[in-house]
Amino acid sequence: MQSALVLQAVTSPRLRWLWLTPLVLLSALIAGTAIGETRIPVETVLKVLANRLWGAGYPVDRIDEGIVWSYRLSRAIVAASCGAGLALAGVVLQALLRNPLAEPFLMGISAGASTGAVAVTVAGIGAGAITLSMGAFAGATLAFGLVVMLAHAATGGAGGGRGLQAAGAIILSGIAGSQLFNALTAFIIAKSANAEQARGIMFWLLGNLSGVRWEDVVLAVPAAVGGLLVCLWHMRALDAFTFGADSAASLGIAVRPVRGILIATTALVTAVMVSMVGAIGFVGLVIPHAMRFIVGSRHARLVPASALAGAVFLIGSDILSRILVPGQVLPIGVITSLIGAPAFALILIRGTGAR
Amino acid sequence: MTIGQSATEIIYSLGVGETVSGTSVWFNPTLPEFKALNAGIERIADNDPSFEAVVNKKPDLVAVQYEWHVGATGSVATRGQFHELGIPTYIMPADCDTKDNSTGGDGTRVTAFSTDSIYKGITELAAIYDVKNAGADLVDSLKAREADAVERAESLDLPDDLSAVFWFSSADLEIDPYVAGRLGAPGYMMDKLGIENVIESNEEWPTVGWESIAKADPDVIVVARMDRRRFPADDVEKKLAFLRKDPVTSQMTAVQEGRIVQMDAHAMSATMRTIFGLEELSETLGEMSFD
Repeated sequence: MQSALVLQAVTSPRLRWLWLTPLVLLSALIAGTAIGETRIPVETVLKVLANRLWGAGYPVDRIDEGIVWSYRLSRAIVAASCGAGLALAGVVLQALLRNPLAEPFLMGISAGASTGAVAVTVAGIGAGAITLSMGAFAGATLAFGLVVMLAHAATGGAGGGRGLQAAGAIILSGIAGSQLFNALTAFIIAKSANAEQARGIMFWLLGNLSGVRWEDVVLAVPAAVGGLLVCLWHMRALDAFTFGADSAASLGIAVRPVRGILIATTALVTAVMVSMVGAIGFVGLVIPHAMRFIVGSRHARLVPASALAGAVFLIGSDILSRILVPGQVLPIGVITSLIGAPAFALILIRGTGAR
Repeated sequence: MTIGQSATEIIYSLGVGETVSGTSVWFNPTLPEFKALNAGIERIADNDPSFEAVVNKKPDLVAVQYEWHVGATGSVATRGQFHELGIPTYIMPADCDTKDNSTGGDGTRVTAFSTDSIYKGITELAAIYDVKNAGADLVDSLKAREADAVERAESLDLPDDLSAVFWFSSADLEIDPYVAGRLGAPGYMMDKLGIENVIESNEEWPTVGWESIAKADPDVIVVARMDRRRFPADDVEKKLAFLRKDPVTSQMTAVQEGRIVQMDAHAMSATMRTIFGLEELSETLGEMSFD
């Protein structure tokens, strides 16, 4: 039934554009691979890709080949996965919480990841044996667990019938969790960081794809694809949740388990992405709203459109972060926030105007 | 009372270490010749001490390595706060003469570091402690070691276009590393030995991507050796393993030719130990082949 709906949605005349998705994504990936900190001719880039993908055997400088294949292509694929994953998380949270400002970081996930990363790099937990990413993942999942427990306690384990109250409780719990973990981060930095460490961690807190390699692709792609499949599978439920949990229940949606699956997927995807590339803000907020303007609110269109736009947006932001200041790579969060913050303001103003 | 390892070791070198009532801000173990002396002196904090912890020692002088600890916006206190309590402060010239410390963090070097600032600091501290002869002897000895190291490098007939990169550490092993810019202590070493720094930044320790470093393909890589274990890349063995394993860095000339120098991390800061680092580098270059 669900798969038939997905197939029907994808093959409807209004969604023919979806078949362009691989082309758009491929073009973005090639751009992300061709443009970087240093200049490598497009011809060399194409030769490297031909060598690696089809064993073409073109003579290419070994360092150029390594940069294109091992650094840039893996980075572009991870950027695409993170962009898609974070955008999907925003779509889900905005639908479930019926709040236009909801995004993954509202759940305290980003703040928890930051605390985990700081605990490893500044406070020295793990004495070098635990990587920054492992610390970030542990912090993200811990923070999310605490936020969910707090929301659950605040509503007394409320089910679908008290959906709005539950949605409000989870937003407030997310804010409380974020504040707690931000305070812990500040405490650790104030207690023990020297200038070098503070700079290093601040760079990471704003998002950074420079350490991405093929090992990360193996984690990022399944997380993004898995998140997309879960969202597509539940697109009818997401449509129903847009009108509230009560409406969803009246349409036959098993509110509590479906909400649980969707929130858990969102948290897992976000934690995986944040642990790899740091706290990249505003993707989950801006992309779903932008896509709603273009394709409408039906999740059959919104989910794939947001995933694609998130992927392309983050690849584009990463390219900008590498070329905007010659000789220096900006944290990608700076770029996404420069675009996201004004968009956030616009949403706020539009919301006020609507009232 | 000292805030900063460099100030501490200079006072030890002047033969007046017994007068130190407490130390703070340590990066490496003290020099071997001061191990016994240092063991008998209280370490107030490994990193930044609190203002009260310092003034509670009722010091006659607070000798400081970095202005960002004690300066206009000092993380320990401002100089004015110490002076209000009648406690004089002395900040090592290597950090305040040629740096703009109003830019936040560890400041920005505006003109290139030179060992003259180290000699000036030694001479002035010797005058404060009234051990001018000890100061002059120490300066003479360091100047002789500096000249010998430069002379040795000149005699090696190193290639004219010899290039290098200094890798201090990284927030994570594969992330953009902290490498030496042109105006700090490693920049001085490279300038003295006729080596081109592939990093063009004037920042003291900019973060530069491995892509840019690999494309510049330096002839020599100098990696910092330290006891600190906050970042995985603090471990010199992990740095070496990364350089040899990573698909791009492993293709760099310096890695393939085995031209990697390990240097004491404190020598890469603007301290007396910079001169020891210069010696170490010129000696190691003499053992390398550049055919």
